[in-house]
Amino acid sequence: MSRNLVELVRRHHAFDAPTALDVLKDAVERRGELTDEDRREAARRSGLPEAAVHGVSTFYDDLLTPRGARHLRVCTGTACFAATGDAHVDALRDGLGLQLGERAADGSVSLAETVCLGFCHSAPAVRDGDTVDAGPGVVERALAGACVAAAEPAWSSTLAEPVLTRPGDWSGLRRVREEGVTPEALLEAVTAAEIRGRGGAGFPAGVKWGFARAAAGEEKFVVANGDEGDPGSYIDKHLMERNTALLLEGMALAAHAVGASHGFVLVRSEYPRSRPALEAAAEAARAAGWLGERFDVTVIEGAGSYVVGEETALLACLEGLRGTVSARPPFPAQEGLYGRPTVVNNVETLCNVPFVAVHGADAYRALSPDAPTAGSKLVCFNERFARPGVYEVPFGVSTRWLCEELAGGLRDGRSIKGVQIGGPLGGILPAERLDTAFDFDALAAEGCMLGHGGILAFDDATSMRDVARHLLRFGAHESCGKCFPCRIGLQRAHGLFAADAPIDRARLEQLLETLELGSLCAHGGGMPAPIRSLLRWWPEELGLAA
Amino acid sequence: MSAPALTVTVDGASVEVPAGATVLDAARAAGRWVPTLCFDARQAPFGACRACLVGVEGAAAPLPACTTPCRDGMAIDTEDAAGRRVAHAVVELVLSELPRAPAPHTELAQVARRLGVGEPRWPGETHAPAPPDVRHPYLAFQHELCISCGRCVRACDELQGTFALTATGRGFGANVAAGLDAGFRDSACVACGACADTCPTDAITEVSLLP
Amino acid sequence: MTESVTTTCGYCGVGCRLEAHRREDDGIASISPALDGPANLGHTCLKGRFAHRFARHRERLTTPLIRDERGGPARAASWEEAIERIAAELGRVRAAHGPDAIAGLASSRATNEDCYAMARMMRAAIGTNNIDNCSRVCHSPTSFALRKALGLSGATGSFSDFDHTGATLLIGANPTEGHPVVGARIKQATLRGMRLVTIDPRRIELADYGVLHLAPRAGTNAAVVLGIAHVLARDGFVDHAFVAARTDGWAAFAELLPAYAPAAVEAISGVPAADLERAAHVYGEASEACIAWGLGVTEHKHGSEVVQLICDVALMTGKIGRPGSALLPLRGQNNVQGSSDMGALPDTYTAYRSVADEAVASSFEDAWGVPLSRTKGYTIPQMFDAAVAGELKAMYVFGEDVAQTDPNTAHVVHALESLDFLVCQDIFETETTKYADVILPASSFLEKSGTFTNAERRVQLVAPAIDPPGEARTDFEIIKAVSRALGHELPWATPADAMDEIAALTPDWAGISHARLGRRGLQWPVAPDGSDAPILYERAFAREGGRAHFAALPYKAPGDAADDEFPLILVTGRRLQHYNAGTMTRRTGNVELVDADVLEIHPDDAARLWISDGDRISVRSRVGRIELPAQVTDRIEPGHVFTTFHFPETRTNLLVGASADVNTSCPEYKVVAVDVRPIGEQPARVPALA
Repeated sequence: MSRNLVELVRRHHAFDAPTALDVLKDAVERRGELTDEDRREAARRSGLPEAAVHGVSTFYDDLLTPRGARHLRVCTGTACFAATGDAHVDALRDGLGLQLGERAADGSVSLAETVCLGFCHSAPAVRDGDTVDAGPGVVERALAGACVAAAEPAWSSTLAEPVLTRPGDWSGLRRVREEGVTPEALLEAVTAAEIRGRGGAGFPAGVKWGFARAAAGEEKFVVANGDEGDPGSYIDKHLMERNTALLLEGMALAAHAVGASHGFVLVRSEYPRSRPALEAAAEAARAAGWLGERFDVTVIEGAGSYVVGEETALLACLEGLRGTVSARPPFPAQEGLYGRPTVVNNVETLCNVPFVAVHGADAYRALSPDAPTAGSKLVCFNERFARPGVYEVPFGVSTRWLCEELAGGLRDGRSIKGVQIGGPLGGILPAERLDTAFDFDALAAEGCMLGHGGILAFDDATSMRDVARHLLRFGAHESCGKCFPCRIGLQRAHGLFAADAPIDRARLEQLLETLELGSLCAHGGGMPAPIRSLLRWWPEELGLAA
Repeated sequence: MSAPALTVTVDGASVEVPAGATVLDAARAAGRWVPTLCFDARQAPFGACRACLVGVEGAAAPLPACTTPCRDGMAIDTEDAAGRRVAHAVVELVLSELPRAPAPHTELAQVARRLGVGEPRWPGETHAPAPPDVRHPYLAFQHELCISCGRCVRACDELQGTFALTATGRGFGANVAAGLDAGFRDSACVACGACADTCPTDAITEVSLLP
Repeated sequence: MTESVTTTCGYCGVGCRLEAHRREDDGIASISPALDGPANLGHTCLKGRFAHRFARHRERLTTPLIRDERGGPARAASWEEAIERIAAELGRVRAAHGPDAIAGLASSRATNEDCYAMARMMRAAIGTNNIDNCSRVCHSPTSFALRKALGLSGATGSFSDFDHTGATLLIGANPTEGHPVVGARIKQATLRGMRLVTIDPRRIELADYGVLHLAPRAGTNAAVVLGIAHVLARDGFVDHAFVAARTDGWAAFAELLPAYAPAAVEAISGVPAADLERAAHVYGEASEACIAWGLGVTEHKHGSEVVQLICDVALMTGKIGRPGSALLPLRGQNNVQGSSDMGALPDTYTAYRSVADEAVASSFEDAWGVPLSRTKGYTIPQMFDAAVAGELKAMYVFGEDVAQTDPNTAHVVHALESLDFLVCQDIFETETTKYADVILPASSFLEKSGTFTNAERRVQLVAPAIDPPGEARTDFEIIKAVSRALGHELPWATPADAMDEIAALTPDWAGISHARLGRRGLQWPVAPDGSDAPILYERAFAREGGRAHFAALPYKAPGDAADDEFPLILVTGRRLQHYNAGTMTRRTGNVELVDADVLEIHPDDAARLWISDGDRISVRSRVGRIELPAQVTDRIEPGHVFTTFHFPETRTNLLVGASADVNTSCPEYKVVAVDVRPIGEQPARVPALA
């Protein structure tokens, strides 16, 4: 990201004021589309040059599709695909007589696609305004203008001493304050607890915090990455909407440890309930004295971009800039938000911290006795399962136990063909490999990843070539456009599977290698993983050339 | 005041570089060629094109030379086989998005020649062919030739400081624009020409040099 | 690709190194920046890069022109005839009225070698010190003041100092338009954290990137600088050890300061006292800090005094002679520095050595083989006065359009009309060539070899990319031919030979030769072994005893002031797209970007005067009147108006009177009291002479 643009924003923009992106989003919401005057207004208010604002306005999905009086967004995430094979998309398109991204000539209604509304437990999902409806009959209700809010998923814990499903009560921060726990001591505890990042990469949180604490600079930030873009995952959504205090407490503790004065949560615009929930929780926390002068939190909503979940892109989005990935170094811990040292942690990662602050590192490490990884994990299941929902589990249990016992296997007598774990960048585990332990290294050995912890089953009726096409369409659409392998390579890979022609396996493998070795971030680097799984387990379904 | 120099090995030859130098700096200091498309020595490394992957001893996979800092004692292989395969593939991919071949004098064409990349074999969509935008007396856009390397945008930002250019769109639809995309003339452009100077494909060039 | 040549830009004083790419069928195909150019670091602006089409413009002079009678039509002539005519007429004037009835103007646009040749021709072939150059009307106050305070007439550091300084005071300069590449460097430095204070009656673009903008009333710079010095002294920023070890005159200066408390300065300048304090602290608190200035400092009645006060500020804080602590005058033209270095001045030989200095004069007499005058010649304004008075009879004007660019245009025109004989050597017909008896077709910077010296004292090579058009010749060849016809042979085959002579006769240039300059040039003084001086005064100043001198100079009111009849103050300057008289840039695509001079006026003043944006308005001063369109903008302070002098149809300098710097005669272009009012709908294209 341009250091100069970041500096211009830093100088001209109070960080709780609307960013250029906020101004643009607001204009779209008010009038249904953007004008150059809106862009100029965003430039004036943010300190950004007009061209930079133009660039922003062409990047985010939310700004690109025109909106009618009624704006319908149909979920094309993987859980919805697994549920209907995209039949719900076609039904809405036909019913409305509109293509995706189109607005009726009379302006009454518009249809857009959105990738993952986080109602994967009840797919397919459709959003009408800010109401998300999901499950059987949703298309009919949407066409009739009668959407109703879908039920939130069930949640429970398999642990006696839950970490993440325990309602946040500020007991960790209370202990820090009452007992005068120093930043150094808290950092040491978090380091000793070996909290690994839950956003996918699994980087030790304590190490990251240590870098940020050691970085020079008066002003530091804590950022909660709530851009849970992985289709099929609704874990962070659950935390951001239904365990808000736990997240805010985790952020306050992180701030204490690294010496940060302000925090930001980036929530997804696909989760319309997240920002209000967090803002209400922050207000309550201020009233109770947990947030305020020493450390406060601003909640910022994204605008439709998967790659913004990558930490450098996330920071750019928070600054109101294009959500493209930047090469590291510099790492955010040295030069992050507004060029200041910044801790960026996934929402779930931060939610582990209060437990450590209360009970200490040893108690935390003891939670998963059968696994190398400390702590516990939230997992979630898609609608294909009999008992989808959010569950807190220890690491190291078998994937089969999770799928067949905890989630009850598939509904309607279907059987599992494969499960994709941890989002679209994760490999696909075939049914015969479900005994693999649910942990970072064990899954990696199978070409899979723990990722975010979303477990998404494809049933026996699913065409695996369709899965490849679905995933690559998503990958190409969401490429931020910065690095060449991802920008062009995913387009070409999708082209291979979308064309009605046999696929040259050598050509495909060359492309996958280019993506894996060449991509700047995990998006391009990870998209080959499920394709490799498909090549490994279901080659005959892919239409490879003889 | 300045940190001590580092000694690294490039293709077997020892070379001394200042602290903070990148692997690409070291390769160039050693007189070794590493293919690049998004790199311009006047700009901060960007790491977009991924043509500059080189082998680094101990690294599991080739690393981008332009954004990887040197460490003392590092051993660099500028002709790492996997790195060169990626470079070749990247250049072929880039050529495949252009509706016509870049002019022979352009940096892209030169890199392609040197790597031995011929006609791209990727069917599918290209940028839409369009007549050049010549609304400015000196600077012309040929958007169909843009490879989104970001060099023009960064030249306007890091060298000139006018911020008249931006990347637009995303994914395969990425391109560049001046101002609110009404051409150079109706933007903040001061016509310094740094964008045309750095463009590796003539997507931005001088009006008088258009074919 | 076609043949390429590395050369040095001929527009402003930044000294960008360029690669000029020649078209196969003649002419320039394109120009790109040299990546290793030390001043431009691979960058250039739209003038250097794009504004080269003038070189093959159909209006280029391609043959000598002669007027058989003054004011009559010009006809094409051969070089032989033209030079014979010049030799005959100048010979006649010299015989009848003595050598001092002849004067020559060298050009800050020309090379060092051209200027040196011109100065030698005037001194040795004609026998007069009546030689001056257009730095007279821009940075002569800088040159004067730096010599007086520090010893040498040049920036104490380099542009790279902006890259490692903590703070900069930028006074009376608009680099993003006037010196775009340096403007870009300064802007980047501010974005990296360099704290910039801009001081100018216009809110220039860089003010948006600085920490503070001061907008003093035009003509009150001295008060502002004294006010800053007051705060620095009051708040403990004086480097007493430096002052004691390396300067003299501090006590007298310090005595002056109590009178310039911020409140008092606010009363004079309009700059809020608190801003003045902040500005002083920005400068004082930085461990390294620079001061840069432009014509907004010099082109005033007391411009040379303000430059001395600027030196005082650097000296009192010891911020000089180190990387990041420099005094950096932003020179206007490509070779303002060099044309004066070369002794194209009425009082000095090369490197500012007095014509009255016996040892210096005799060294030139020995080298040139002729007796030389020990009497100071006329400065440019004195030349015009002398012409009007009938004492100056002939002029040789090389590369200047005095009838457009010099102040008090009506007086200049009167002077040119009063001459018996005028030679112009130029690349286009200009306002001035209208009065010439012989016009010699010369060459642009793209057609010649030699050197320019930029604002960092950096002497850089100029190389021809194309040939002069038609019969046009290089200035060097022309001056050689004229000098020969006047009886004094200039004994050099090439400009490189001339540089060897300069080096032999000038200690500070002793180590300079074309071969040594290479791609990056050398910053004078250059020792015989070729080592140059990016930073001056690291150990000693170039004055007697090695000590710098504090000037104790109080604020004095400018030469003109607003009154009831002329209630607004006009400031003139330059725009990015054009260059001075516009002789070159008006003949390029740049006119498609900006095609007229406009008058900037503050919305409050515009509202009071019933002027709307775009209205054609009349601007009247005590000496002239012009008409042009208005541009209403809050970038200019209320009470001030601003315009440029790029277009001859505007003739802005009709408005500028005779007020000039007390030490150097540099005209007071920056303070002209004017009356501004709307005019009727029928615009008069021809401005009326008052």
